[in-house]
Formats: sequence, structure tokens, C-alpha cells
Amino acid sequence: MATPIIMPKQGQSVESCIIAKWHKQKGDSVNVGDMLFTYETDKATFDEEAEVAGTLIDVFFEEGDDVPCLTNVCVIGNEGEDTSAFKPASEDDDEPAAAAAAEEAPKAEAAKPAATVNTSGDTKASPRARALADSKGIDVTAATPTGPYGRIIERDVRDVIDGGLGASRGAGAGIAGTGIGGKVRAEDLANAPAAASVEAPAAMPEIEEVPITNIRKVIARSMHASLSEMAQLTLNTTFDATEIMAYRAKVKAAGEKLGLENITLNDIVLYVVSRVLLNHKDLNANFTGDTMKYFSKVNLGLAVDTPRGLMVPTIFAASDKSLNEISAEAKKLAAAAQGGTINPDLLQGASFTVTNLGSMGVESFTPVINPPQTGILGVDTLTTGIREVNGEIKTYKKMGLSLTFDHRAVDGAPAARMLRDVAFGLENFSLMLSK
Amino acid sequence: MTKSLFLDPNELRKPGKVKFTDIQVNQYKKTIEEEKKSKNFKNEDLLRIYRDMRIIREFEDMLYSIKTTGAYNGIEYNNPGPAHLSMGQEASAVGQAYLLTTDDYIFGSHRSHGEILAKGLSAIQKLDEKELYSVMENFLGGKTLKVIEGKQKDKGNIKELAMDFLLYGALAEIFARETGFNKGLGGSMHAFFTPFGIYPNNAIVGGSATIALGAALFKKANQKKGIVVSNVGDASMGCGPVFEALNMSAMDQIAKLWEKGYNEGMPIIFNFFDNMYGMGGQTMGETMAYGILARIGAGITPSQMHAERVDGYNPLAVIDAMRRKIDIIKKGEGPVLLDTLTYRMAGHSPSDADSYRTKEEKDAWAKHDVLVNYKDKLKKAKVGKEADFTKMDEDIIERMEKIVRLAINDEVSPRINLDVNPDTIESIMFSNEKVEKFDDREPDVLMPMEENPRVQQIARRTRFGFDEKGKPVSKNKVYQLRDGLFEAIIDRFYKDPTLIAYGEDNRDWGGAYAVYRGLTEALPYHRFFNSPISEAAIVGSAVGYAMSGGRVLAEIMYCDFIGRAGDEIFNQLAKWQSMSAGILKMPVVIRVSVGSKYGAQHSQDWTSIVAHIPGLKVAFPATPYDAKGLMASALSGTDPVIFFESQRIYDVGEQFHEGGVPAEYYEIPFGEPDVKRAGSDVTILTIGATLYRALKAADMLQEKYGISAEVIDARSIVPFNYEKVLESVKKTGRIVLASDACSRGSYLKEIAQNISEMAFDYLDAPPVVVGARNWITPAHELENYFFPQPEWILDAINEKILPLPGYVPTSNCTTLEQIRRNKLGV
Repeated sequence: MATPIIMPKQGQSVESCIIAKWHKQKGDSVNVGDMLFTYETDKATFDEEAEVAGTLIDVFFEEGDDVPCLTNVCVIGNEGEDTSAFKPASEDDDEPAAAAAAEEAPKAEAAKPAATVNTSGDTKASPRARALADSKGIDVTAATPTGPYGRIIERDVRDVIDGGLGASRGAGAGIAGTGIGGKVRAEDLANAPAAASVEAPAAMPEIEEVPITNIRKVIARSMHASLSEMAQLTLNTTFDATEIMAYRAKVKAAGEKLGLENITLNDIVLYVVSRVLLNHKDLNANFTGDTMKYFSKVNLGLAVDTPRGLMVPTIFAASDKSLNEISAEAKKLAAAAQGGTINPDLLQGASFTVTNLGSMGVESFTPVINPPQTGILGVDTLTTGIREVNGEIKTYKKMGLSLTFDHRAVDGAPAARMLRDVAFGLENFSLMLSK
Repeated sequence: MTKSLFLDPNELRKPGKVKFTDIQVNQYKKTIEEEKKSKNFKNEDLLRIYRDMRIIREFEDMLYSIKTTGAYNGIEYNNPGPAHLSMGQEASAVGQAYLLTTDDYIFGSHRSHGEILAKGLSAIQKLDEKELYSVMENFLGGKTLKVIEGKQKDKGNIKELAMDFLLYGALAEIFARETGFNKGLGGSMHAFFTPFGIYPNNAIVGGSATIALGAALFKKANQKKGIVVSNVGDASMGCGPVFEALNMSAMDQIAKLWEKGYNEGMPIIFNFFDNMYGMGGQTMGETMAYGILARIGAGITPSQMHAERVDGYNPLAVIDAMRRKIDIIKKGEGPVLLDTLTYRMAGHSPSDADSYRTKEEKDAWAKHDVLVNYKDKLKKAKVGKEADFTKMDEDIIERMEKIVRLAINDEVSPRINLDVNPDTIESIMFSNEKVEKFDDREPDVLMPMEENPRVQQIARRTRFGFDEKGKPVSKNKVYQLRDGLFEAIIDRFYKDPTLIAYGEDNRDWGGAYAVYRGLTEALPYHRFFNSPISEAAIVGSAVGYAMSGGRVLAEIMYCDFIGRAGDEIFNQLAKWQSMSAGILKMPVVIRVSVGSKYGAQHSQDWTSIVAHIPGLKVAFPATPYDAKGLMASALSGTDPVIFFESQRIYDVGEQFHEGGVPAEYYEIPFGEPDVKRAGSDVTILTIGATLYRALKAADMLQEKYGISAEVIDARSIVPFNYEKVLESVKKTGRIVLASDACSRGSYLKEIAQNISEMAFDYLDAPPVVVGARNWITPAHELENYFFPQPEWILDAINEKILPLPGYVPTSNCTTLEQIRRNKLGV
């Protein structure tokens, strides 16, 4: 009877063995104990001995073939017996193309990363994110954190740089849990509805391209030079505006009758600055790099917003002029600048400049110096302040001042003193009027 | 194991008896006259024996005085270092050294000043003046000689000069001077001087036994002249490695299986200076069971190791015993065990209050003081007159005072200056040399390499892991990691005749993981043999073999067995290059295999433990290309390497190196990590087999999240060049580190910390380590809960580095969980 001989399984992890040598050929007679073939695993070599006698009537593999364990290798029987039943199924060499190869790897999901929740209250940002924000002049806290535990990471800062919207935030009930084993976490609640309610971005508006005007170019050059060449910094303070507001109220009520101009709060500031500056000659000066040009009078620049851009006409010798005169001249210069009729000579020669964004509600800003001047005072908006008076909390009106100075020409302390004197003069404006 | 030795049940099951013969105790009875009559000694020899003992006594008394009073004969000095003194043991040391030549090596213990001096004085007596001067002149570029040269009364007397050289070199070493025998880096307990056959002394009790065995193995396997003496104390008989050494030195195969010319007994005397105390523990009667130490010999071999007890208070008795023991070894019947009875008069160290012994006992031994008794005998035998001895004593004291003054003089005997040369010690931690072969003779092999069946089998294999179609080549046809190791190893066997390899189941079996399959056919027994299951002796003997001038590839099978060779790896293998001030080289590669599937004591990755110890190089390749190149590098170097392998990947094919594993020889330098896959968003650094799980994690990151991971394989961890990793981290800003070591104290934490320091401003998240849990390794079926999985790497990224949209973690790596686990210590 024909007996198939299998490739033995030598150990759990062995899946196949190589036939190293045939000791019997097809047709040879075989006795019990005869060596049939030698086979090897990756670790060892073994000999297969015949356990039945007869003739080697079929051999299915050659030397060097890698035969799966437990597969029939050869058949011992009587000559002429049919061995086809024992023939192992031929291995299909051409496996279907690997699924992995056929499928394109999915494209990286462009979906926005979900924002994460920082429960500590302090800003957490990775060193890499901070370094990137610093290098681009971005406040790192402007980024929406998507890192672990609400940490701002590099991609969040990149998002700000790229003008993206940052990570989506949202509120409401979420469903898909991303906790261990799929538990719903705080982040899931925060992000799930947000993802659902994200609006399709509006169609890109048409872009209008307009050439830059000459004045814009002048401003651009001047401002860029100012910031890139000077050592500018800004001091901010506020002062009690009670007295100047009272004065302004009086002017409103009775000024016309006395033939006074409509003296504005800005005019009052211009007036006080024109007086105080005489005591702070470093800020009433031009810095040329090699020399300081000190002015004996105050030529006060007045920043004016015009349809063509910023213009700064000068009130020459303001320190010699009365409040009313200053008010009148300021209005005239502003009108001329806005109308585009201003004499170019009046757009230079200032020793100091005052600029006002307070009328637009700005509480504090960083004015940019008009070179080669050494300072510029920004006038901020009126706000309500509180203070303690005899144990009670009282409100009062206060106004902000932002003094930018060129640290190359002036140190911080003298600049602060000048700002303090302006604030003091404004708080004691009735006394100042006698100057 | 061997098929040539038949275990016959008919014989083995017969009844019978184990027979012993008597072990001799203090049987020496000769008088001086008898010795003189038998022409063993001339008068001058007998007087020189006294002189040598007296020099040792003065040397030890001098140190005792300095340690306890801060001065010696009015010369003030403070020596904060150790001093384990041997007053009382002089006869043992001088008696032992008397017949030994410079071809004979002695190894010692923490209490070996006397042995150093005795062996040195014996060498000085035997060497001719030209040889002696050449030894001194060439040692440390003549720095030591320069200090003492010209300061002798009898100028031009080279033997006098050499005695000063010996005393000064030893004392300067004890006082940590750069002019000492080991530049002051060994010190009192480790001093040695190989040109006189004085090999390292050892501060670990019994530490020298396995090392001395290795030196004897070197002499045997390389047919070198001389014998080896292992000097350890009686208390070391309580140390496992000492027993391992006794057994391995006498293993049956040497007589039964090793080739002719190599089948004689191991040329070693295991001598025990039996002063009957182990620190304060009294060995005989308290801590030990043997009664008389020599008894142990009967338990080791049928020859009873020719053991006997000799009276170490009589130098002539010791010389007589040594004469007989050396003969036994020369007849090829070693090894020998000698129990040299002695007594130390001082305590274990100068701080010992002797709270464990009585004054009566000390006084009784003082009456046996060899210096007094031996002198009396010589006087009675008319060998010397009192005036001769007085003169000798005065000369010795005068010489000692001169030597002390020189050794404490900071100008002539400076310490190594670490302010001026801050890298002095750094530069001797490794020798970093390339040595093709340690001897020029033809390597002893059994067949041409190309006829080796394994070599032929490998030649049929595909050397890259994928075929032209990119399909993986079947395991049986692919060139595997184990083949890479084999190629590098057999190559070195055919180049360096001194290279030997041993370990458990190396021969016949071919190593438990078939790396050595084919070596049995290629190599004779004396180059490749099965050791007993004695990890301490395996590593310790490798240390001694390398110290003597050969190269060893030792294997201790599972990484977990490192514990069994703890002292030999951490204190011996790691330290001898630097403790010898770079005089010794340590070309030893220890193969250890990290397991899996076999539970808690067979599955541990202990790279971190080994990497912690200064002085060891550590590699853990994960690909066939790296395995071959790093093994080639390890086997051509001169430094000790712990070579980690993983049982998970012995059969892995090469998947990275273009063109597959080169057939020709090449080396991969230690310390260079390798980028296995380039990427841009996150770096994954792995040690060992974890590489393949990291690659799977990288696939998942790319396919599911569009994150491109750069995968770096550390390949070796000591030394380690951070530059490539920092470059990667600067690019990606993120890094996960993964290995199969338990995460607590993992070497990856060290790498992570260094990255935090060196790339802090580039990091977008902290470096995160993914290691195994701090548990026992559970059964194979549960291993996925213990060893890092690809998903764990994603979990760590999601939790700590870069939240992955919609990701559902499989494991808990939150901060709270981290705190909880650490609170519990798990």
C-alpha cells in the first residue's frame, strides 16, 4: 500500500523546511531505517528515515525546494501504484497583487486638527512653537492650542502665520469618543459640534489691484526708516481729565461769545505740550546721528489723517502762541492738509509731533516717530477710571497718553519726566494757562 | 554535549562507591640542614628568603604606621586610601614566589602587597641585568624609573635599582601617584606589574579565581609557557564564582575531547591564603563548612585537585609544596588546589578593632612569628649571624624611608593632573584600537572556510529580504540575521589565532539560536567548546584570557543570565582597562540574547543596566547588515563589548541595506545610529527588535493620519553619537523612543533627557519613551500587554505629542496614570 512521507514539523515556529539532499531516488527500494532525505530549517539540519519498506515510487520535490511542513514529500509503495492522490496541490506562485500595493495610501487628511482644552489657565506653548512665533513677531498666545493638554504647538503658530482660522472651537453635545477605548472626553464635546457647524468658506472676493500713490510711498519709506533705524519705545500713562473736560465744557458754553475758537481737547494737549517741551530740550530736538539739533521754540507737528494718507503739518513757534491761536492754526492746517492745498513748507521743520487716535476710541498705541524728531506723543481716548476717595470708590474721566521716544537720543527717565509733566500740566490746566 | 561520549545505562546504573584518598595537612618536616643537604638552597638563598619577608613586613608596618599615626619614622603623611595589610603572611607570599618565573602569572586579592613584593623580588633575582633594566626603562616611558634612578648607594647595581623600582612603583600606586605601577588608578587593592608576572589584584573577594582561570586557558589554548596562580582568601570559598572556576578549570572534556597537545590539565594552582578570617567572620568554625579548606579539592575532581594544606608560617614548607605542585602541572595533571595556612597579625584594615578575636589568640600566633622563628633557625643552622640580620634590617629600613620620601613628594611623584589634562581618565576608559590578530601564527582550523557546510548553505541564500517583485523571500531561503553574525565570527576565527569562543551549548548544538551552526566543523575544541553553566566563570575567564593577550567571544545565552555574571561584567570586564591606566586591553565580546515567549526570567532587555556601567561598549543590532558589521567591528576591536541580540529576529532578512548584505568583510563603527526610514513629522528612535514595531507604527501614522515618521535604529548605545538624532529632532520637533526594556530607568530615558537638553528650543513636545511595563514578563499569550506595540507608539503621540484626529487610544499613557503607576512603583 502506498504510504506518503510528509515534511515533519520541527518545532512550533517552523513553517517550512528545505530539502538539502535526497539519499534515495525515485524507483530505489527502501528498507525501514534507510535515510530518505536530509532537510534543514533556518536553524538546524535533520535526517528523515524511512518507517516503511517498499519502493520510492514518487518524489514531489527536488533538492533546494522549500517545502511547507506536513506536506507530502514522497511516496513509498509497490511499483505501479497510483500516487496522484498524494501529490500536493501546486503552490500558486502568482498571488493576487498585494492588496496594499493596489490601494493608494490614503491622502493625508486635510481636516483641521481639533482644539484641545488647557485647564491650567496659563498659556502652554512648546519651545518650538514659541521660537517660531518669536521669529515671526507673532504673539504666541494668539494661536489656538491643538497640542496635548491645551498646549500650543508648532502647527498652531503656523496656522496663525498662514492666516488660517486656527483650530475650530465649538460647544454642544459630541458623540465620537477619543478617550481610551473610545470614552468621550472634554475635547470630544468641544470639537464634535464644531466640526459639524463649520461653514463652507465664502467664495473668495474679487481682488482689486491699485498702484501705490507717491504719498503712500513716502509714508511707507519714512515709517519703515523710522522703525528700522531708530531705537523707539513707548511709555503710556493716563491723567485725570476732569479739569480739561470742565474747561472744554466752559468753552462750549461760552467760548463763542468771547470770540474763542472751538477749542478741542486735542488743542489743549497741543498747548500743554508746547509749554512743557521747553523744559525737555532733548525731546524738542532733531537727532542726526552725530549731533543733536536743539530748538529754542517748539515747532509742533500735527498728525492729520487725510484721504491721501498721513500728513504732518507744523505749527511753528507754538510755544509763543496762545491756546486760541494754536487751536485756530491747527484747524486751518488740518483743513489745508485734508484739502490737499497745504504749502509743502508747512509739512516740515517740526521739533516734536502730537498724534491723536483717541477720537477713534483707541486706548493706547505706539506712535511712530517722524525722523529726525526724537519724540511723538499719542493722545488716547477718554475712559472711565475709578479711585478711592475717603474710603469710597469714585469714578472719574481719564485720558491716555502714549509717548514714543528715540532711545538713541533720550533715556527712559527724562522721557518719563516729560510725560509726567504733560500729564501734570493737563491735570492742572487752569494753572498751565498762565504759562 | 557530544555524540562521542556514550552514556551507558548498564554501567551507570551499577552499584559502586566514590573513593577518596587522604588529604595531607602540614606534612613538611625537613630541617634547614636537610634542605641544604638535598641542595635545594644555598646559604644566600635562605638569607634572601629572610630578606624578602623582612621587606614585606617593613612595607606593611610602614603603611600601618602611616594609617594609624600619620607618620613613618618621623616622615609625616596622610593616606586616606585603603590598606589591607598582611603582617604575618610573609612566609606564604615569599614561599610561593620563590620558584615562580616571569612566565608564571599570579593574581591576587585586596590583601596582596606581600604577594606583589615577593613575586617582584623573585623576578628581580631571576632576570638578568639587561632584561631588568629594559623592563624598567620601557615602563611608562621610563617615568617611574626616572624617580628612583641614581638614588642607590651602590650605583650601577641594577638589582638594587630594581628593588627600589619595585617598592617605589607599588607604594606610589598605593598613594595614587602618576608614577605608580598603574598611574595611581588601581591603588592598593588592584596594583600589578605584568613584566614581573604580577597580574591584577582584586578588591572583590574571590574575584581573581575566574580571571586566573582565563589566564591559564590562554596559556593552554595558545601553548604559552608558564603556570598561573590564583591567590584568593579562605573566605572566598563561600563565593559561587570561585567554585565555578574550580570546576571549569578541571572540566572532563579537556582530557576526554580536546585534541592532542591541548589535552593536558589546566596549568593553574588555586591557592587559598587561608588566614582563617573573612573580614571578621571566622571561616573555620563559624562561616564555612569545610573544617579544613583543602577538603574542597576532593569534591571537585577524582584527582582531588591534588589538594593539601601547607604550613604558611614556614617559607620552606611553602616552597616545598610549590615545587611539588608545579611538577604536577608540568606533568599535565593540573589543576591544583593549595590551602596555605596563615594568620594575619593586624586587623582586616587599620580601622578594624579586632572585636572578633582575643588577645590570647593574637599573642599565641605572635609566638609563631615567622620572622623571629625563621631567623632563629638560620642562626642555629649557622646560615647567618645576628649581625648579618641587624645589617639587613637597617638597610631595609633605610631603603623604605627613601622610598616613602620619594613616593610622598608631590614634585617627583605627582598625581595625574585633571586640571591640566582633564581627559586623562576619559582617554583610558576605552582603548579604541583595531587589532587584526593578537598572534602571527596560522589560526588552528579544521577545514578551509569554503568547505564549511554552513558557509555553503549561506551561499545559497538570498542576501536581501525581498525579491525583484518586492515580495518577501521565504525564511528558509533568505540570508538571516544569524547568518550575518556567523559570517563576521567565522571570518575573525580564520584571521586571529588567539580568538576562542565558548558558552553554554555552543559546540554541536551550534548555540541555542543556531548562530554557531557550522563552527563545530570548522574549529578544534581548544578554540570552541561548551562551558559548564557557569556564567561568572564564562565572563571572568574571558577577562583573564584577554588580559593575558588573547581575544574571546563568550556567550551567556539569555540576557537574563547577566545577573549570574554581575561582578564579572560590572567590576572586572568593565574596569580593567582603565584601572590598569590603559596597560591592559580587553578584547572580549559577550553575546547575550534577549528572549521572548519564555516568561519573566527569560525575556528581559537589560541594555540599560549594562549601559549604566562605565567601560563597556553596548550594541544591539536589529538587521542582518548591522549584525554582521557591528560584530565585525566588535571582534576587531580591543574593548569589551556586550553584544545584545534578540530571539525575535534571528531569522529576519535584510530589508534596508540596498543590495542586501555584502558577502565581503565590512565593519560598522560603534556609536552611529542609522535612519531606517526617512520622514518629516515625528522621529521614532528604537533599540533592538522594537525597530520592526516602530516601522509598523510609522505605516499606521502615514496611512491613517498622513504623518510622516522618521525611524532611527540606535544600533549601539555606548558609545552613541547624538548628532544624527538631534538633526532629525530639529527637523521634526518630536520624538518617541521605544525599546523592549522596562520603561523605568530605561536607557531611552537617558537619551530622551539628553535630547531635551540639547534640542530644547526645537521641541514641539517632550520626548516620550515607550517601554515595556514595569512588571514581570507574562506568558507569551499575554506579552502584547507587556512589550511595546505599534499602537502604543501612536497612543504616546496622541496623548503627549500631537493629538491625532478621531484617534482612539488602546493604552493609558495620561499624566494621571503615569503618576498613579509611579506612586505604586509599577
